[in-house]
Amino acid sequence: MTLLSSLMDYYYESMYPELKILEDKRLAIVVKLKKMIFILLFACIGFCFFLIQSGFFIPLHAFILSGMFSFLIYMFIYRHEIAGYKSLFKDQIIEKIIYFINPVLVYEKADYIQEGEYVLSGIFPQNYDRYSGNDLVYGAIDEVSIRFSNLHVEEKRHDKNGKEEWYSLFQGLFFVADFNKDFQGKTFIFPDFAQRTLGIFGEWMQGLNMSKGELIKLDHSEFERLFVVYGDDQIESRYILSHALMERIVDFQHKTGKRLSLSFVHTKMYLCIDYKKELFEPILSKSLLEFAHIKDYFELLALFIGIVDAFKLNEKIWSKR
Amino acid sequence: METFLIVAGIIGLVLVLMYNNLISKKNQVDNIFAGLDAILKKRYDLLPNFVSSVQEYTAHEKTTLEKITSLRSEAMQSSLKSDSKIALDNQLSQALNGLMLNVENYPDLKANENFLHLQRTLNELEEQISAARRAYNQSVTDYNNAIEMFPTNMMASFMRMERKTVFVTKEGERKNVDVKNLFQK
Repeated sequence: MTLLSSLMDYYYESMYPELKILEDKRLAIVVKLKKMIFILLFACIGFCFFLIQSGFFIPLHAFILSGMFSFLIYMFIYRHEIAGYKSLFKDQIIEKIIYFINPVLVYEKADYIQEGEYVLSGIFPQNYDRYSGNDLVYGAIDEVSIRFSNLHVEEKRHDKNGKEEWYSLFQGLFFVADFNKDFQGKTFIFPDFAQRTLGIFGEWMQGLNMSKGELIKLDHSEFERLFVVYGDDQIESRYILSHALMERIVDFQHKTGKRLSLSFVHTKMYLCIDYKKELFEPILSKSLLEFAHIKDYFELLALFIGIVDAFKLNEKIWSKR
Repeated sequence: METFLIVAGIIGLVLVLMYNNLISKKNQVDNIFAGLDAILKKRYDLLPNFVSSVQEYTAHEKTTLEKITSLRSEAMQSSLKSDSKIALDNQLSQALNGLMLNVENYPDLKANENFLHLQRTLNELEEQISAARRAYNQSVTDYNNAIEMFPTNMMASFMRMERKTVFVTKEGERKNVDVKNLFQK
């Protein structure tokens, strides 16, 4: 609450004057887009009549074709208009919120977690064809090095008719941090669907899946209900997943309400949070001068930056000191 | 004849799977116990140094230190069964935890770098032992379930497999000594 009230002070004192200029820009874009919709609507109707009159199309086809054509033009204009605004929004809002939460963190709006790290995490072993991301945040909190960014990883697939389509393997936030204990092996944590839906049979099936290592059954009922764990060393996986850490992961799962996957590899902790959308993007329909709107971005960023504290990654075990 | 062969084949296959399942569970228990034993051994190796660095400063902890030394010598006997080893380890952990609490009374000891290093290492080993105990308990539970549940219980009794005991930690011992807190007092 104290942090939120100091954010409010920071918002009005340090951000508000510049936001007014950005808000004018947002309003100008909204007006421009509304005008564009109006013009395109007329153009669409005109084009539709023209197609019908030409005699080559039946009314339904003419309507669909002109509608699609207008929509494409609108999307082109929308993207063009929003590009500059988006960049300014990230500079003046996202970067400043991050600075407010922790000034030692660095924000690179166009950068993202490197493919090497994504592959090294081992969470998604599938081959992918398109890898993109943005909004990289990195730095050290209490001597714990962290990095996180938006990621969108896709695979090219073909449907029954041979038509090419893009399938998302992962879209959301990818978080990497130094772990507070030393370990040699690999431990993976995934959401548990099989056991929850199929019970003992699901657990038996999970035991057969050896691609990630052995099935690790843990002595925390809520954690076991939510997650399935694989690892290449029964003892080491439990050394990593102490009762306290399992409790913290369960709490974090409840807090986000999102699908979480984690891995512990090469003394690092990798955490993937599924969002199915890009985070930290501007919403044109919402005013920047409303604190509640800015608060949403703050809460999301505070949640991610707070992972170090939530998982107590800063409480290093003796040998890591 | 053909049906008989198919049924016999299926029964044979089920028996093989049951046998392999029981053996893999038994081996899992042995493997994890070997892992636990390795960590316990690390702790035993560390204890002579620890005891000698503590006894220089702590005249009143003689009994506890002697107890630790004798427990260590007992636990290091190779002829010990897993149950006895587990019981000795519990007693040793208890004695060490008690000693760690009493360290508070010896400011000179608390300032000794060598002691602090040994204490840190022991604490880390305690974490690893705790993980190994949990892994061992889980593997014993899986093993015990397999030898008691139908139909594998029939095969298990034929193979003369017996229940194994899990680690039971007393409520007071569950919480590791928070040395960091102790030193901040």
